[in-house]
This record gives sequence, C-alpha cells and structure tokens, in this order.
Amino acid sequence: MIDVSGLRKKYGDIEALKGVSFHVGAGEIYGLLGPNGAGKSTAIGILCGLVRPDAGQATLNGLDISRKPIDARRVLGVVPQEVALYTELSARDNLAFFGRLYGLGGTGLSSAIDRVLAKVSLSDRAKEPIEGFSGGMLRRLNIAAGLLHDPKVVLMDEPTVGLDPQTRASILDLVRSVAASGAAVVYTTHYLDEAERLCDRIGIIDHGSILAEGTLLELRQAAGAREIIALRGLFTVDAVTREMGSHPEYELVKVSDSELLLTVQHAEQQLAGLLAIAATLGTVREVAIRQPSLESLFIKLTGRELRE
Amino acid sequence: MPAAFTIAAHHIRRVIRNPGLILLLLAIPLTLAVIEYAAFGRTAAAGTLPPATVLFLDEDDTLLSSALPQVFSGGPAKDFFELSQVPDKAEAARLFRRGQAAALIVVPKGFQNAVLEGTRAELGFYPNPVQSVGPEIARSMIEMTALIGNGLYAKALDPIAQIRTLMQANREPTADEVAAISRGFFEAGRRFSSLQGLNGLTVGVKRPGASAVKTGFGNEPGQFFAYVFPGLVVFGLLFIAQALAMRLMRDRLRGLQRRLVITPAGPTAVIMGGVIYTVVALFALLIFLALIGAVVFRIQLRDPASLIAIGAGFAIFASGLHLLSMALATSDRGAGFVGSVIVLVLSLVGGSFVPAEQFPPFLRSLAVLVPNGAAQQGFIDILVHNASLAAVGGRLAIVWAWGLTVMGLAVYFEQRRLRS
Repeated sequence: MIDVSGLRKKYGDIEALKGVSFHVGAGEIYGLLGPNGAGKSTAIGILCGLVRPDAGQATLNGLDISRKPIDARRVLGVVPQEVALYTELSARDNLAFFGRLYGLGGTGLSSAIDRVLAKVSLSDRAKEPIEGFSGGMLRRLNIAAGLLHDPKVVLMDEPTVGLDPQTRASILDLVRSVAASGAAVVYTTHYLDEAERLCDRIGIIDHGSILAEGTLLELRQAAGAREIIALRGLFTVDAVTREMGSHPEYELVKVSDSELLLTVQHAEQQLAGLLAIAATLGTVREVAIRQPSLESLFIKLTGRELRE
Repeated sequence: MPAAFTIAAHHIRRVIRNPGLILLLLAIPLTLAVIEYAAFGRTAAAGTLPPATVLFLDEDDTLLSSALPQVFSGGPAKDFFELSQVPDKAEAARLFRRGQAAALIVVPKGFQNAVLEGTRAELGFYPNPVQSVGPEIARSMIEMTALIGNGLYAKALDPIAQIRTLMQANREPTADEVAAISRGFFEAGRRFSSLQGLNGLTVGVKRPGASAVKTGFGNEPGQFFAYVFPGLVVFGLLFIAQALAMRLMRDRLRGLQRRLVITPAGPTAVIMGGVIYTVVALFALLIFLALIGAVVFRIQLRDPASLIAIGAGFAIFASGLHLLSMALATSDRGAGFVGSVIVLVLSLVGGSFVPAEQFPPFLRSLAVLVPNGAAQQGFIDILVHNASLAAVGGRLAIVWAWGLTVMGLAVYFEQRRLRS
C-alpha cells in the first residue's frame, strides 16, 4: 500500500531526509516516531505530495505521488495535526465540501457523510456550526474529514495532541477500525505509550534516517535489557564526558549542563556508584530509573526524549 | 478547473453566511457619499460658498445700530451671511460651543454717538475659535463693509455735521433742515456710487440661471454622486478586497489551505479558487454598489457595458493586489499592514479623497496612471461626461494592464510558496 524507498531531501545545506525507506501494508498501522526536526514532517509532506523529493520514490497503492499526484491523492486520506475545519460551517457542510473535492456527490456524498459521522459519534450534532464543539469533537470531525472518501492510505499526524485520556482512547479505537477496514495507516505521535498500544510496526526516525524499525517486540529486544538512569541537576559537560569515559559500565547517552542520561545493566545496584561519581561532577537534584521500553530504545538511539 | 469553481463557490458561501465585516466595509463608501453630499452638495449647486452664520449683538440700541444688520443681510453680503440676533454674549458663547455660528458682531454702546461726533467708532468682531473657514469669510466681509462705510462717511461729512449740531442743540429740526440733511446724504450717496462706474470699470458676475441651477450637482443629486461616488466606491472596494483576501490568509494560517492542497484538487485549483472567489465577490459587490448608486443616489448608469469592463478590470486588480501581499507575507498582521498602506497611498495618489483635478500637474498625470485613479476617472467620464467605451479606452487599458499584471504576480508567488 505505502512504499517509500530511498527518499532524500535537502533544504539548502540541511539534509532533512537521508535515504528513508519503509513499507506499510494493507490493514497495518505504522508508527513513525521521531523528535522535532527528525525529518518526520518532510517525509509526511512527500507522502502528501506537498514536498518534492530530491531522490527516491513514494508510492501510494502503487501510484507514484510525484508523478501522478492527483490519482495518488484520491486514495490518500490525511488527518492533519491542527484542526483544519471551517468553524463557521456545520459538521455536515464541512464534510460535504471536502467530499466534493474528492469527487463525491449526490447520494454517494450524503451516505458517506452519514457513515463517517456515525463512525466518529457526531451524527446528532451534524447540523450545528462546529464553533461550539469541544476539542475532542473537533478532533473526531477532523479525522472524519480525512476518512470521508474511504481512502486506502491514511496519514495521521498526531491526531490526539492535547486530548484527555478518554477521548484519546476513543480516537485510538477509531484508528484501529480504519486499519481493520483494510487501509494502510501511518501514524505519528509524541505519546510513546500510544505507539506501543496502537502500532503494528514502528519506525524511529532522527536526523533524516530511520534508526530502527520493527514490531514492538522486535524493538524491545533491540533495546536490550539495559535500564535508563536519568540524573537532573547542574553538571559540567566536559568533566562528565571525560570522567564517564573511564566507567564503561555506565553508557552515557546524553549529557547537558542540566541532565545526564545513562544506560546500565542493573540500575538499582549501580545507582549508588553512579551518584558517587556524579557528586564529583556537579549537583544532583533528581534521579529517575526507567525500565527497558520503547522509550529507552528511543533515547538510546536518538539521545533525546520524544518530546524534545 | 471544476475543483477551482467548487472552492470559489465554497468561499463565497462562507462570506454570505458570515457577511459582518464585508457589510461594514460596504457602508464606508455609502456613508462617505452621504456625508460629502451633505457637506458640499448644496454648495456645488449654487456655485457659491456655504453661508456663514454670524451672530449680531446690539448693545447700542440706536437708530444707526438697528440699521446695521441690513448692511450685512442685504446686497452682495447676503450670499455670505446668515445673520442671527442674540440678546447677550452668553447666548453667543453657547451657540459657539455648539458650532452653530461662525462669528459674533457686537455694536457697542455709544457707537452711534461716536459716528455722529466723528470720533473712533468700533464694531466688535469675535470669531468662533473652534471654526476656521466660516470666521475668516465673516471677517473679510465685515472689513470690506467697514471700508465701504468709511468711504460713504467721508462723502457725507456735511449732513452728519448738521445732525450733530441739531443733537447738541437738543431741539427738533425744521422742515428745511430735514430737507438739507436728506439732500446732503443723497448727494453723498450719489458721489460714492459714481466711484463704482469709474471709467466704466465693472465686474460682471455671471451666476447660473434657473436652468443651470436645475442641472447643478446639488439640485440634481445624481450628478453630484456620479462625480464623487466612483472614487469612494473604488476606495471602499480596495478595503473590501483586503477583507476577502484576509479570509484566505487566515485559512492558510489555520492549515485549511494545506488541507485543500492535498486533496485531488491540488494547488493550482486551490489558488484559482481563491482568485475566482475574490474577483467574483468583489465584482458582485461593485455591481451592488452601482445599483445602490442608481436607486438611492439617482446616478444614471450610462453605458453599462463600459462600466462593467472597467469594473471587472478593477476587481481583478484589487483582488490581485491583496492576494499578492498575502502570497508574500508570513502573517496576517504583516499582510494587513502592507495592504492597508498600499490602499491608502493608492487612494491618495488616485484622487479618492481629493479630486485629481485639484492636484498639481505632475500628480494629476500620475493619478490617472494608477489603477484606482484610472478606474475612478473612467467611471466619471462615463457617468458625468457621457463618454463612450472608445473614449475611455485608455483608462480601461491601464486598469486591465494593472489588473492582469498584479494578479499574474499573485498567482506566481502563491504557486512558488506552495511548492517551496
């Protein structure tokens, strides 16, 4: 359904994508995770046909988005991060407009609107102007507008940002139902737990490259059994780098003047020793231990937390 | 292309559903037209300046002082003054504060005695400090009247001396004395009048006759509005175009444009949809304003085809101007500021506020080269001077050349922005 191979894109001297490749099959949910500036938006932009790649190819349902953009867009549904809807119009009028742009009309359009409104539980509010809708309702309608034409490929860009847990859960169910209907879904999120719960496969992208890819199980195995210790306080970067180099049992992942991230084999046993060393390198104000997880793999691979 | 029409129809429907700002902006040219008519319509009809209301306070209460109002309300001064008597200065001050009078003339106690005794006789003149033009007109007229009065006084010294003698004697004049005084004033008047015919030198003032007044701007509002309304409409449409285009800018900032671009419609249809929407909406509003002009202001819409040709070209220009500033801007505030500055400069140069015919020669020739000035003058040529399409061909070409150039640039830069 979605085939991305060797995508490259440069903006001036900055190489946003350095040969990104991945595949998403029908009915599959693919999580694309990466910190800000990793290349996610550029990859999504290419898949939408908004950005022209310097090299490589992206096909949606066998259609090259660069060569046949209009045909490719017909099979593509996009749910943007922002709520991109006309607030002065009703839910039905919003959907009718987007439906017409996808070539729907007449009874086909009307039944498609009814179907997606029912799917996002907004049938009873269909005729109201959406300016009175809650954040969760707007998000659901935002998704509905992307699914109206029954797309074979769906790109969802952080559709749950800023929502309460209950609404998030309902949206995740919706995404699962979209995949269950046979669509290939690319899902980007900042919530790692969401990716763990939802995605069949996950790709971790940073600095324009896919650093790791696989199912959750595969990625956890790749993360190894090492735990993460996070120290927050005041540190001298040069001194930390120099000192930790002589302690191979502590693998330094990230260092800044306010935070140290290290992976260790047995956090509880090694914590006291680490704190003793850290005390000579600065002031420790906060300590956290994290179990091996997607997050620890993410930090290990990117040196950053997903929210950065 | 059908997608572009779908998008354009969608934007127009949104404006119809939520017309608040557009209606407010539509009211600008209409309101300005009414204000201009109220201020200048009557003046334009009469061919004179509007009369200034001058207050008159008689503190002397004598035969001479009571005759003075006739000096100002009769003869040539009657066109410039509307004299209104007040009982005291307090009432005059109250009328000044309300802006209901331009000046106050006070005849002080002892004025008649001073005239008869040949000593300095002064009239008090108090201009309204919150007005500028009216008081100056009144001052000029009273100074001129004083000059004439002094001339007449110099010719009538003999009869005045006779009156003074009689008053000092405190007795009734005889029939011969009355006759002598009357004869003296008659002679003085005759000698003074003869000055006006000096060597046959006269100033002939030709005022419009009855038929001319009937076709004047004031008595024929349609004529007045046909002259002032096009400039105001052109000015208003430039701002309305900005409001229409600003909606697209806000759509862009809210991610709606991006969402449209990634549909099968694609970027070209999205851009052309915006172009069609602004041009059609603006042209429809222009037609609406023209109909208002015809129905309410009684403007005779001569040669509709030529009016439409100029109007369509101007709608393309005004839309293109603001779509271009949106394409180049990164924020709605930036686009709004730049657009407003351009509109104001164009309106000043094009003669929306001050008629271009009042401009110095260089600016006058510049005014008809800017698109709004050319459109405005083209409308006036058709509506007021009954010009044909061929006669306004030059102005039409200027408007369309600007329109197509600016719109072309807007489309080019918007495409470039969407593809970057």
